[in-house]
Amino acid sequence: MTAFFDILIGGVFHAAVLFLVAAGLQLVFGVQKIVNLACGSFYALGAYFGITAVNWAIKVGVPPSMFLLVLLASGLVLGVIGPAIEALLRTVYDRDEAFQLLLTFALVLMFQDVLRFFWGANPQQLGNLAMEYGKVSVGEVQVPTYNVLVILASVVIAMGIGAFLQRTRIGRILRATAENREMSQAMGVNVRWIYASVFTLGTVLGTVGGALVVPTAAASLDMPVELVVEAFAVVVIGGLGSMRGALAGALVVGLMRAAAITFYAELEMLSIYLVVILVLIARPAGLFGKPIE
Amino acid sequence: MTALIETVGVGKSYGDFVALDDVSLSISEGELVSIVGPNGAGKTTLVNVLTGLLKPTAGVVRFKGEDIAGIGPVMLSQRGMARSFQLVHIFPAMTVAETIAVAVISRSGKSLDLFSPARSDATVRATVRDVAAIFGLDGKLDAESRLLSQGEKKLLDIASAFALSPEVILLDEPTSGVSSGDKHGIMRNVVDAAKRAGVKAIILVEHDMDLVAEYSSRIVALTAGKVLADRAPADFFGDPAIIAAVVGKWVGKSAKGA
Amino acid sequence: MRYVAILLAVVVLAAVPKFAQPYYVTLVLPAFGYSIALLGFNLLFGYTGLLSFGHALFVAVGAYGAAVLSSKLGVKSFELVLLISGAAAVVVAIPVALLSVRYVRIFFGILTLAFGMLFHSFLFKFYDLTGGDTGIRVLRPSLFSMDFKELDKTAFLIGPFYYYCLGLLVVLGLAMWRVVHSPFGLHLTAIRENSRKAEYLGVRVRFFRLIAFLISAFYCAIGGVILAINTGQADPELAYWTHSGELVFMTVLGGFANFFGPLVGAFTFIFLKSELMGATQYWRFFLGLTLLLIVVLFPRGLMGLALDLRSKVWRK
Repeated sequence: MTAFFDILIGGVFHAAVLFLVAAGLQLVFGVQKIVNLACGSFYALGAYFGITAVNWAIKVGVPPSMFLLVLLASGLVLGVIGPAIEALLRTVYDRDEAFQLLLTFALVLMFQDVLRFFWGANPQQLGNLAMEYGKVSVGEVQVPTYNVLVILASVVIAMGIGAFLQRTRIGRILRATAENREMSQAMGVNVRWIYASVFTLGTVLGTVGGALVVPTAAASLDMPVELVVEAFAVVVIGGLGSMRGALAGALVVGLMRAAAITFYAELEMLSIYLVVILVLIARPAGLFGKPIE
Repeated sequence: MTALIETVGVGKSYGDFVALDDVSLSISEGELVSIVGPNGAGKTTLVNVLTGLLKPTAGVVRFKGEDIAGIGPVMLSQRGMARSFQLVHIFPAMTVAETIAVAVISRSGKSLDLFSPARSDATVRATVRDVAAIFGLDGKLDAESRLLSQGEKKLLDIASAFALSPEVILLDEPTSGVSSGDKHGIMRNVVDAAKRAGVKAIILVEHDMDLVAEYSSRIVALTAGKVLADRAPADFFGDPAIIAAVVGKWVGKSAKGA
Repeated sequence: MRYVAILLAVVVLAAVPKFAQPYYVTLVLPAFGYSIALLGFNLLFGYTGLLSFGHALFVAVGAYGAAVLSSKLGVKSFELVLLISGAAAVVVAIPVALLSVRYVRIFFGILTLAFGMLFHSFLFKFYDLTGGDTGIRVLRPSLFSMDFKELDKTAFLIGPFYYYCLGLLVVLGLAMWRVVHSPFGLHLTAIRENSRKAEYLGVRVRFFRLIAFLISAFYCAIGGVILAINTGQADPELAYWTHSGELVFMTVLGGFANFFGPLVGAFTFIFLKSELMGATQYWRFFLGLTLLLIVVLFPRGLMGLALDLRSKVWRK
């Protein structure tokens, strides 16, 4: 029974973090039709920077109980790179998808060394800081409170995004621009500003995701390239462009990984790739996506 | 005369929306049948059913006696029917000659040839030149398709359909985008060339009633998915009620002989 | 004019081992390998319009084919290794292609990426079969049944093996040239330009994409064999998605709209990477920057630039 709860909580925690990154991907794809291979790089940036931020906070005397907020803040701060990168992407908006993909791939390569330059080649971690929040009982099991907090934070963010997209004026404008850019422009919408904002939001979701994960995992230079595959799996299973899909896909991937690690470690990523392939074959639109051509 | 292509009681519905309702028509060798009607009448749907792109939800569609419901464009071209498009479809980066060659080669069944030089095959080049000449494009064989004028692109579209040596060719608004002075010239060319090339029947979808009156052996009018009339031009243009339904106002110019 | 340039290039390449330092000669070998791989890759990308982010899979099949055949099955003949590894890649490509060519654009890219990573996972995890993360050793083959026992590894590589690979590149290049200019090649271009219209002209779009995919897999495997023999090792990272990304990088760098673009791209990339690695530990950054500049400023790649320059010169 404990194994079950371990998998559940571990899987849902992983899903919570994955959801944030995937939500960022979905937003950017939904509105701008760009698939951002550098999403993993943002995630890693968030992780490394989060560690630096917490270490600095501890040094200046911030109480350890506040570090969750420090992490959130550090993820948000990194949002400044969003507009800069979006400006770069603007140069290839009207070109073939291949070029957009390649540009984000170039960013992946560049970010590898940016991370290496600032933080070196060795993995970094925050030690046992997650334990600062103690444990909480879920059923018969003791779970780190931190994990639960992150899951809650993710849920709150998910609901926030959902409400934003469905209920606010800006949200509706976003969805309209996603459907039809020209018409939106014709109606006076400042599409440029929308694109910049959406991309920044996507970036922030990635960096926050990375920041939130560091108390439980090390930040390493493998993160950017490894996360991309998982994030893509989430987005494919859930359906490209759909927020609900990001949630559903993240849960599927998160839980599958947790189960695989517990029962048969060899199959860990293999099982996920197989599911991706199966979904693409059986239902290319994913669970919630719109059917394609 | 047995029908070359026919539909029997064809219907096409999308849920509650009925695009076609009990459409029966038949086209025989030697005919040029025009399909006319206001926008939204179901012309496009009918065209897609006739060319094997859509499966009808009711009724049958047959070509040379065989059911062709939803067989798809590749099989359709192999059986001997070709179509041109209302919205211009070209291969932007390919030249006029290359575009026509694609059709000529695929017709000859030699598509899977991986090693002979396609461009320099003499027979292919001759055929390409002949087809291009019919449409006045033989001066532009080496021009990239994307650089052609709108009218020329239209002609290329028709020319490449032609190059399939089809028995039946369906022309979807072939003269839209072409200047009015040229319209008759082009239709004349196409109809004459079709006869020479052994095309047995032509289906024409058109809005220009002058052309329809001039060239059709029969006119089929659609409204709201149903066949309103299926008559020879003289009868068709002699009936004001039909004209009103199809065009929306009385057309001054009448059909030949009326 | 073009033939003169090609002849010149072949002569120069043939002369390289005589005049250049062994280090540079050993760089040309992976350039040969990637050139062949990219000739195949670009058939699918440049000519058919399908961007695969998983083609490193087939390079890896070639490499592991060479490894398994030479060190586990004792096959010495280079010719056999090439044929069997190539055939293996085609066999692996059949299910991958069948499933992938139903889709286009981004879905094709993601599906191929998934297959590539699936293979990587397999190579990485199944230690007993594949040697896990260390991979499998690749032994020196015999060329046309000749062992060249008297030569040490480097001498073999920069000597007979070099010329053999140059020959392979010329032969496979000629074959690809014929394919691209054949009726089949014409149809592929039509499919790329407007697959809907191509169908209406009687072209079996999916089938042709499949064939193009299989040919590209074969070429990538041959490239992989050459790479593996050069390094002496087949390792799982050959199948990682970033390696697939590099294949695309090289192709675009050289110019995907031109037959020779991928060749130019392969050579440029190999040498650029080598120089950068020697100059700074942050070579990935500059490599990425190069790709960025190409995508934004020179999307038609080096060959595109060269052709633009040539037409400007001719106009004067």
